[in-house]
Amino acid sequence: MASFQLSVNNKSFSVEAEPDMPLLWVLRDMLDLTGTKFGCGVSACGACTVLINDHAMRSCQVSVKAAAGQTITTIEGLSEDGTHPVQKAWEKVAVPQCGYCQTGQMMTVVGLLKQNKRPTEEEIDAVMSQNLCRCGTYHRIKEAVHQVIEEINK
Amino acid sequence: MKKVSIDRRRFIKLSTLSGGGLMIGFMLPGLPSFGQTIPDCEFFQPNALIRISKNGEVTIFVARQEMGQGVNTSLPMIVADELEADWKKVKTEIAPYGSMANGAHDTGGSQSVLTDYTTLRKAGAVAKAMLVAAAAKQWNISPDKCAADNGTVVNTTNMKTISYGELVCVAATLPVPAEVTLKSPKDFKLIGKEQKKSNLKDILTGKAKFGIDLKVPGMVYASIERCPVLGGKLVSVNDSEAKEVAGFIKVVTYEGTGKPMHVRPGVAVIATSFWAAEQARDLLKIKWDVGQGYKANTVELFNTMAVRSKQPAAIEKFKKGTVNPIKIASQNSHIAEYKEPFLAHATMEPVNFIAQVKGDNCEMWGGLQLPDWTVNQVAADCGFKKENIKVNLAMIGGGFGRRLHFEFAIEAVKIAKQLDTAVKVIWNRKDDIRFQGYRPANYHRLEASWSKSGELQTWYHHVLSTSIAVMTDGPQTPDPSENQGGAMADFYYKVPNVKTGYTNVDFNINRGWLRSVEICMNSFPVESFIDEVARKMKKDPLAFRLSLLDGREMFLVGEGPGAMKQYPQRIANVLKLAAEKIGYDRPRKKNHFIGVATHSFIFAKSYAAHAIEIELLGPKNFRIKRVVAAIDCGIVINPDGLKNQMEGGLAFALQQALKGEITIQNGKVDQSGFHNYQLLRYNEMPPVEIYTIASEEEPGGVGEVGLPTVAPALCNALAAAGYRPRSLPLKNEGFSWG
Repeated sequence: MASFQLSVNNKSFSVEAEPDMPLLWVLRDMLDLTGTKFGCGVSACGACTVLINDHAMRSCQVSVKAAAGQTITTIEGLSEDGTHPVQKAWEKVAVPQCGYCQTGQMMTVVGLLKQNKRPTEEEIDAVMSQNLCRCGTYHRIKEAVHQVIEEINK
Repeated sequence: MKKVSIDRRRFIKLSTLSGGGLMIGFMLPGLPSFGQTIPDCEFFQPNALIRISKNGEVTIFVARQEMGQGVNTSLPMIVADELEADWKKVKTEIAPYGSMANGAHDTGGSQSVLTDYTTLRKAGAVAKAMLVAAAAKQWNISPDKCAADNGTVVNTTNMKTISYGELVCVAATLPVPAEVTLKSPKDFKLIGKEQKKSNLKDILTGKAKFGIDLKVPGMVYASIERCPVLGGKLVSVNDSEAKEVAGFIKVVTYEGTGKPMHVRPGVAVIATSFWAAEQARDLLKIKWDVGQGYKANTVELFNTMAVRSKQPAAIEKFKKGTVNPIKIASQNSHIAEYKEPFLAHATMEPVNFIAQVKGDNCEMWGGLQLPDWTVNQVAADCGFKKENIKVNLAMIGGGFGRRLHFEFAIEAVKIAKQLDTAVKVIWNRKDDIRFQGYRPANYHRLEASWSKSGELQTWYHHVLSTSIAVMTDGPQTPDPSENQGGAMADFYYKVPNVKTGYTNVDFNINRGWLRSVEICMNSFPVESFIDEVARKMKKDPLAFRLSLLDGREMFLVGEGPGAMKQYPQRIANVLKLAAEKIGYDRPRKKNHFIGVATHSFIFAKSYAAHAIEIELLGPKNFRIKRVVAAIDCGIVINPDGLKNQMEGGLAFALQQALKGEITIQNGKVDQSGFHNYQLLRYNEMPPVEIYTIASEEEPGGVGEVGLPTVAPALCNALAAAGYRPRSLPLKNEGFSWG
């Protein structure tokens, strides 16, 4: 066990954990930030996506040791009240069915747009195709992503 | 007591019964968890479904389990419409388990809306009548001078209003009316209008709590190594290395169970975190005795089915007129065989469950589609009295039938019995893909013949599958067959001579209900074969279908109260609508082809057709250009929810058509994650349009009706392009798509 300082959603946390424990489980089980979801544990579904220094990362693949000292944002810290442009678009289009994968979907889009406000269709496809949704909301995710891009480039 | 065994045909009966039970249940005062008399009248609660607070907030309790299908919105809409509630002041909660009659929480078979529709309307109407009576009493006028509207009661003489919140103290003292009048559908204000999911905001902010997010004080975690072959036994376990992992607490083992759930024997690592439990599990050294089950192999299974399909069926399902076997096809006859593999649910929320045992008492937390059956079976398998088992239901991150099974609950309780704390069991993704109850592998042989003048004369369909009922009931099940969806008396095309049958083929892997189940299994061969026959007869496949459906009268399938109505005309109507909207009769671009398929989801009283347009890009390489779905589900409760289910159903069914496949060798499942059990992806979702037939029929279910016609419509489009796939998934047939 070792002690790590984590900066999550502009708050500082001190956690005692094995250095290789994935950030996913630190967030969920130690900090009670359960909006970040476990889907596969091997970076194959995107349900656990968070922002680390404004980059969308799979939190199941980032150890607590590597996450320490970085700026981490989870869905809970994306906005105070669900009004981030991505959340607003998701609300307007009514994307979710079960909703389990959607926090990861939204964080992936936020990460994409932090790096590039006007991604091409191919770039969007390449990124979003790595996030799985079993309910099949892809049709609406696509619509919401395009609404956000339009909104932030106004 | 509820029957401990259930299949889909029995499910409808159970659901119908439970609807009645719910009605009685919520009319009874003094239900558990719901005090009837509230001394300080903070709220008014006329039944277990509705609670109105002094501030005007209306809470509607949802008994059916929310898992993405939208019952947490559609069911409250039905209540709120009759209640004349202000939808903006309505919030929804999971109805506490035990607050309703038996069966009220059962969620499956697309049954929630159609089973509860009238009950929920009555619940709302009762509350409204009492609020109106309270206002009349307050104003000292006759109730017929009052009208309810948008969370208020209006005095129709002077147009004064009083809010529901202001009436709760008086309403709580009034008798519950025995009879209420329901609204005329033309007066619906919420039903038929798009509403967003009631917990949408919670989902978007990460606040929504699924079963996997729940925590119980003092809880520890478990990760389980299960016997790799069904029917095996644990020989020994060495945990000396596992013990060294920080956070390791102990190892507990338990034996498997047989029917209905077929829990595999397990070695569970208990630890302070799931991560630690997983690390320690990897270090276990376990010896299993896999028994005889290691011989199971899906290649051999399909070979067996292919041979068996040519012999007479074990069970005759339906017979009309005379049908003689056709051994070799001629100019006036046709034979084809189809096959579909085992399929996994692969819900995004990995299966999980929490259990705690204190002496003779057991408490459980998590998502369950059939909580009553779960309680009965946990009582039987783990040695508790039913009344000593408490259930706390949780939202489900994708159901699709996965949580109709509940082997995970039995596992969790078996482990909790050996601990003095609560334990959360989580299945990792590998466990999920390798150890569930799969949709049965199935195989079909169809034969048809027609007269020289082009009249279809005979239709023969032999369904073979690895029956679900054989697993849940045991080999002596009274009916192992899986013929619904056009392979029994529900066969909807007008043919004078019809014969259908069923043969179960044994196989050592557990099976379960997966979204659309046998209707999906059978629509693929039925809707492909009718297309093949039309093409061989040189007839247009759309016009040929319509000639066998149009004008045909409703007929009953089955007898007695369980009889289902089959409406060929509604099957024709959705097909016509889909064909019209895709422009079936318009000229097409070069290399563009359209396939159609139609069906009735008879079990849920809904009808749907798909028309799919593909572009052939090269040999066996295609792109889906457009998908049009047409649905007739009677009265639509929430049009947005319906659209969601049809869009999602398309994605689910396309995965099955294109790439979904579970294979088994040496008794072990080959697939182990999303890398080799591939789901549909964002870039593979085609453009989709949904069209609805306006109807005043009672509402049908929509959770499954969007699946069955996808694969046959796609394969029929490929047939138009010169191919005729008869085996799914298409990836195995050399097809690629972009």
